[in-house]
Amino acid sequence: MGHDSGSSAGAGVESLSLDLLAHALAGVRDPRDRKSCRLASRAFARAEAASRRAARVLRREALPRALRAFPALSSLDLSACAGLDDASLAAALPVRLARASGVGWRGLEALVAACPRLEAVDLSHCVAAGDREMAALAAAGLRELVMDKCLGITDVGLAKVAVGCPGLQRLSVKWCREISDIGVKLLAKKCPELRSVDISYLKVTNESLRSVSTLEKLEDIAMVSCLFIDDDGLQMLSMCNSLQSIDVSRCHHVSSLGLASLIDSQRFLRKINAAHSLHEIETCVLSKLSTIGETLTVLRLDGLEIFASNLQAIGSTCKNLVEIGLSKCNGVTDDGIVSLVAHCCDLRTIDVTCCHLLTNGALAAIAENCRKIECLRLESCPFISEKGLEPIATLCSHLKEVDLTDCRINDAALQHLASCSELLILKLGLCSSISDEGLVYISSNCGKLVELDLYRCSAITDDGLAAVASGCKKIRMLNLCYCTQITDAGLKHVSALEELTNLELRCLVRITGIGITSIALGCTSLIELDLKRCYSVDDAGLWALSRYSQNLRQLTITYCQVTGLGLCHLLGSLRCLQDVKMVHLSWVSIEGFEMALRAACGRLKKLKLLGGLRSVLSTELLQMLLACGCRVRWVDKPLVYEG
Amino acid sequence: MEGRMTSLEATMKASSTMASSMVRNADPDQQTLRSNSVEQFYFPRPGQSLPGIPPFFGPPSSSLYLPNDNEAKFGNQFESNPSQNTDWDPQAIVSNLTFLEQKIKQVKDIVQSMNNRENQVAGGSSELAAKQQLITADLTSIIIQLISTAGSLLPSMKNPLLSSNPAVRQLGNTLGSPMGFGMNANQRPSVDSKTDIPDTGKTSDYDELMNNLNTAQDERDELIKCPNPCGGEGSEPTPMEDHDVKESDDGGEGENLPPGSYVVLQLEKEEILAPHTHFCLICGKGFKRDANLRMHMRGHGDEYKTPAALAKPTKDSGADHAPVTRYSCPFVGCKRNKEHKKFQPLKTILCVKNHYKRSHCDKSYTCSRCNTKKFSVIADLKTHEKHCGRDKWLCSCGTTFSRKDKLFGHVALFQGHTPALPMEDVKVSEASEQPHDSEPMNEMARSMVYSFPSSSSDGISNLDMKMADDVRGYFSPLSFDPCFGALDDFTRPGFDISENPFSFLPSGSCSYGQQNGDS
Repeated sequence: MGHDSGSSAGAGVESLSLDLLAHALAGVRDPRDRKSCRLASRAFARAEAASRRAARVLRREALPRALRAFPALSSLDLSACAGLDDASLAAALPVRLARASGVGWRGLEALVAACPRLEAVDLSHCVAAGDREMAALAAAGLRELVMDKCLGITDVGLAKVAVGCPGLQRLSVKWCREISDIGVKLLAKKCPELRSVDISYLKVTNESLRSVSTLEKLEDIAMVSCLFIDDDGLQMLSMCNSLQSIDVSRCHHVSSLGLASLIDSQRFLRKINAAHSLHEIETCVLSKLSTIGETLTVLRLDGLEIFASNLQAIGSTCKNLVEIGLSKCNGVTDDGIVSLVAHCCDLRTIDVTCCHLLTNGALAAIAENCRKIECLRLESCPFISEKGLEPIATLCSHLKEVDLTDCRINDAALQHLASCSELLILKLGLCSSISDEGLVYISSNCGKLVELDLYRCSAITDDGLAAVASGCKKIRMLNLCYCTQITDAGLKHVSALEELTNLELRCLVRITGIGITSIALGCTSLIELDLKRCYSVDDAGLWALSRYSQNLRQLTITYCQVTGLGLCHLLGSLRCLQDVKMVHLSWVSIEGFEMALRAACGRLKKLKLLGGLRSVLSTELLQMLLACGCRVRWVDKPLVYEG
Repeated sequence: MEGRMTSLEATMKASSTMASSMVRNADPDQQTLRSNSVEQFYFPRPGQSLPGIPPFFGPPSSSLYLPNDNEAKFGNQFESNPSQNTDWDPQAIVSNLTFLEQKIKQVKDIVQSMNNRENQVAGGSSELAAKQQLITADLTSIIIQLISTAGSLLPSMKNPLLSSNPAVRQLGNTLGSPMGFGMNANQRPSVDSKTDIPDTGKTSDYDELMNNLNTAQDERDELIKCPNPCGGEGSEPTPMEDHDVKESDDGGEGENLPPGSYVVLQLEKEEILAPHTHFCLICGKGFKRDANLRMHMRGHGDEYKTPAALAKPTKDSGADHAPVTRYSCPFVGCKRNKEHKKFQPLKTILCVKNHYKRSHCDKSYTCSRCNTKKFSVIADLKTHEKHCGRDKWLCSCGTTFSRKDKLFGHVALFQGHTPALPMEDVKVSEASEQPHDSEPMNEMARSMVYSFPSSSSDGISNLDMKMADDVRGYFSPLSFDPCFGALDDFTRPGFDISENPFSFLPSGSCSYGQQNGDS
């Protein structure tokens, strides 16, 4: 019957033109649904092949086929592609290569030669990439380049890019610690089109800002934790008056004075991030805020000394604020929040993490004034209770994200929150008083929930999970660490969450291989799994994972009761596995480790192993791991059983 | 004291008398020292011609081997010289002084005899000059001996070291040699005009005298080696010469002397390339030493013969009467050539030298570190070598910089220039020199990846995997650990890579894998 309905639907679809089908497909967002369409009808498959613009390739072997199948691709994400090497790159497109540590300059050279229209490359976290890779890329005339944490890149590599890509518009060199003022100076001189520059964590000084200020089109500058930059630098930067976004967070030598002088010359500023830089926000800044009061939408002042009067001034000048960050700000009180939200009715995100003085009064004011609020971060606000959450839940129906970690709320609070049917992210970590009852409330109405954090909610049992699994089918990230009452039966319920990608089960001492097997069978999209200190999990669990969890990328099996055979099987079979933490596997012999690692060594990018193994594993193996771009973290923690 | 005396005598009497005197000082302790000393005389230090024999003490023969003859002839001079071990021996001093007295007398005789002959023959001026030269040389040697004798008698020289230390002995040898020099000059009248005469006016200082003597010695060596220093390629210029040259490098650029307000002098190519630094302002002839130039200048007129002109020049002397002189490069077509329309004269001769070498000569000095950079002026090489290999910043155009900011300034200035990667030359060497290091590593890594092809649920992707790489992976020559050899055995050879490689696992354990392969 199923077959019949499929074929009839297919016949109807066949008669439609390709572009109509493509248009219809564009409305289908979920990749799973798209896949169903493809499988249901050849016509859809053709339409998809002709119209698909973006692809994310998970396996190296599939890359050539994907490129053949989707000729219209304009963006290709290879950041999750296991074992990517130079040979595979020779035929790719606009590329995202983040964390592809095996990629070298030869591959990039081939890539650049093969794609004359290459415009954007993301090389972030390719820690091995250096000047030579940059030289290869520079030939492409890129517009966008992200090379965060490419540790080998020096001024010379930056100069190569600057000279080779005069049309560069966006550049991020975050964490490229070798880059200095000289390189930035040349960049500013050679790339006048630059709109966005990220020089965070560099050892650059005010001189760099002087150079950058000559960029006439600069809109966005980030200089997180540039410790050699001070007020003089910001003064120089004020030469450039087209800025839209400034990030000076964690620049410890920047003070209110410098920020004020910079703001003074700007007319279009939308975002200011001054988190953890100024000690306190002084009146000079507040008075200058009025010049950009109309445009400013995002203001982050995390970690500063903020008083009620400050918040009142901000509220009265910046009426269009959409996001305010006050995380870890001393002095934030109910009065302050009340006076802030009185004028800012467009606020959608409020971050008051660790503002310990806040009480339900603040929440009431927020609920009254900011009906559009979507994200509320209230972690560690201990005086907040269900009475405060009630007005929020009833008045702010758009609420999507709530962080109540460590807030000592109870099931009644969850009962109120359950009325927010748009809720996507709910963090309830360390709320040890919530029980299955609360989860039942949530699951009854929050069907869109994507992320649920129940870290150390130790009152949760299998029944609660049953409710969640039946009500919140869309959950992708689930944290059940230290919910020690959970057993294999609970995991059986969890296995109904087909879209689950991240699952943390740390220290669930009652679960065994059977529970893991059910997870592996049900949650086929699983990408990350944490089984640390699940002392009862054995080889059976690993075999299930190696058979069914083909998308698993990150796995922690520290302290699990697995043997060498299970490990070999696991590492030999999982083709997407890139990051494995396996410390204190007492049942695995040295030969077991050796064999397992050899079986996987082309794919692994990160490993965490017991320090003692370093000397007993063969040097040949370690060299091979190194050559494949795998980084090994050797830990020397003592074997301690807890839970 | 014994030793000291011996050395002293050696100094005074020079080679022919020395051996004999030592034989007479038949102290058992002296035997070794004596033989040592004799040996040094028989085998002079390198670069030094055979020590000459003072004309006063006998025929210029190789009588070094005939101590007895010498003893018979000159022994009486030192007969009274006792072999006492006292620190201060008046008798010895007396004998030394007598010896000096005798010598002075001898010289006097010679001069007198020459004077007589001169009166008889009334020979040409050249012969007269040669004679004067000879006498000057003799006087020089006498003064040297005087100084050395006096010096050896000074309390500071009364050191047992003098007798026991061969180095000091050698000092004596050195002192002995100028006498030979004098004679040598006599034998070679053709070159005597270039013979350096130690400035006797300044020999009050013992050290300076020594220096002068050594200079004279070197000079003579050179004369012998290259009789005509003005022509052809000489020995390499000493570094010292070129270092001060560097300062006034190609000067004259800034100054705008009106044409005609200066004399233009054009040296010939040979002159420029000769290893000289002292040039005659009148004819342009070059000399290695100023003293030789001064000697040469005498030929240009009597005004150069005054003692003031012959003395070492002070900075300002001569500046008054010399006309403003500028120089022209002999290379026709060069901007520095006087025929050029926009002729820019060179300020000094040193400028001429450097300009000519840099612009019109082969770059014969290659940097020993990088083996690529070449220079025609040795000072340039030395300057380069100071920085070569250390923080070398290279532009794609080939220009090198010692500092990164300079390179980046250069790159910022020129369109299309980019900093060159330091690896670029490393790359070549790496590929050629150490193929055993990096390449097999990658190879090994690749083969490892393919040696464990995992199960695949996608048939088409398997087809894609079947590339040359895979074949290589399977037939990789690499040997794994024993357990992996076994693993390979379990893996079915061939290309069916969708087969799970863990088929050797116990049947129960690999059920998943098998199913997978089938699916």
